[in-house]
Amino acid sequence: MNALKIAATGMAAQQMRVDVISNNIANMSTTAYQPRVAEFADLIYQQYQTPGTLSSQTGSTVPAGIQIGMGVRPTTVSMEIVQGALSQTGGDLDLAIEGRGFFEIIQPNGESAFTRDGKFYRDAEGLMVNSDGHALADQITIPNDTNRLTISQDGEVVAYFDNATAGQTIGTLTLNVFANTKGLEALGGNLYRETEASGAPINGAAGTEGIGVMRQGYLEDSGVDVVEEISELIEAQRGYELNSKIITAADEMLAATTRIR
Amino acid sequence: MDNAIYTMLTRQSGLMREFSTVANNVANMGTTGFKAEHGVFTEFISRLENGSAAGLGGDSLSMGRLGAHATDFSDGGLKSTGGALDMAISGDGFFQVQTNAGPRLTRAGHFMLNADRVLVDPQGNAVMGAGGGEIAIPLEAANIQVGLDGTISSDGIEYGRIGVVTAAPDTLVREGGNLWNAPNTRPLEEAKIVSGFLEQSNVNPVLEMARMIEVQRHYDAGQSLMDLEDDRIRSVAQTVRQMS
Repeated sequence: MNALKIAATGMAAQQMRVDVISNNIANMSTTAYQPRVAEFADLIYQQYQTPGTLSSQTGSTVPAGIQIGMGVRPTTVSMEIVQGALSQTGGDLDLAIEGRGFFEIIQPNGESAFTRDGKFYRDAEGLMVNSDGHALADQITIPNDTNRLTISQDGEVVAYFDNATAGQTIGTLTLNVFANTKGLEALGGNLYRETEASGAPINGAAGTEGIGVMRQGYLEDSGVDVVEEISELIEAQRGYELNSKIITAADEMLAATTRIR
Repeated sequence: MDNAIYTMLTRQSGLMREFSTVANNVANMGTTGFKAEHGVFTEFISRLENGSAAGLGGDSLSMGRLGAHATDFSDGGLKSTGGALDMAISGDGFFQVQTNAGPRLTRAGHFMLNADRVLVDPQGNAVMGAGGGEIAIPLEAANIQVGLDGTISSDGIEYGRIGVVTAAPDTLVREGGNLWNAPNTRPLEEAKIVSGFLEQSNVNPVLEMARMIEVQRHYDAGQSLMDLEDDRIRSVAQTVRQMS
């Protein structure tokens, strides 16, 4: 019986929605997390009678036909590109991006990864690294005797040393944008990787049109809207329940069928 | 087999299909732009083979069968997503996307840009503009806005206009993947496009549950009628045996 399989696709879809929502809620405090949204589409249709064909009985054209759908399937779990709110932290190496850009990080295997998480640290050699210790592609080395550090909106890193009133530029941070940000592959650890769908990263100076600017002393909050997620969760749960009711009813109908002598 | 059984069978199999339709509606409760479907039962009159001349009665068999499907084209509710390229059509019309098999219609306006910065649907089909071509948005367009008439612009520069078409409802063939196929479409000039929203499925859960119960009960009734018919034939056979 089709209804059993159809309702099963419905349950699987709602289950997936719950999975996506729970991951969003789990990341409600993750720096610069972009919420994901699951989208669905109907499956193929079995055409018992195509609309517009001739009716066998009267020879007239059938107005609507009989098309029975085979259920639902997930199409995308896409990132919603939202600008998260900025939280003030005061950290010299805390950077929030206002705009569409990403920082480039070099992973231990030498591959590039991209992130909007601007929580950076200084490692033993003075290199600017992310929370996992991976270096920024811009390779900023902060000298040992640095007293104070300023990073301008355009990414210029200026170090101030003891007794000196004038700072010294020690490097410039750049940002990357993608033709299709939704096409990035999430690696976990707030990192993304370029794919065929996202296109190659376009590197540019912060402050250029469309790339965005940096805010020192701020971090970008997670873009998750908890209220919205919870209402989505309730919706998904109810959808799951209704689909399971269909399965129960289909089962009862099958039982009735098998009772025929 | 007896005629009553035939009549019941067409009805039972029709009810099964109707039940599949209910199941499909419920499964697609969360599908963007989905339109619910309802079955329509019609009378199907079959002339019996050994019948005499037409018009005398008693030589035809009337059966209830699933004759057609009616699609509910009413608007689904709008859900705010905040996505600049999420669009919903308020009222009549369909978006048009270019698939490998030709242009198809859709109400699901969850669009995005691909690696070539062309506006596509989640399956990668290019969204067709009012003139029939693709719509590409260059990288420097930072604040993309979609107007009520479907014009896509950024900082005052226009990059294209989304085409909205309409077709006679009886010519629309569902293809799955939120797509519809229609042989004859015509552009709809007065379409209203709401950006930042997606159209939800127009499935009404309460109605579907009521229909589910209805179909189930009718099916049960049909089954017990078949049991009764079976008993009747049995008792006839028994009587005949006893008489001989």
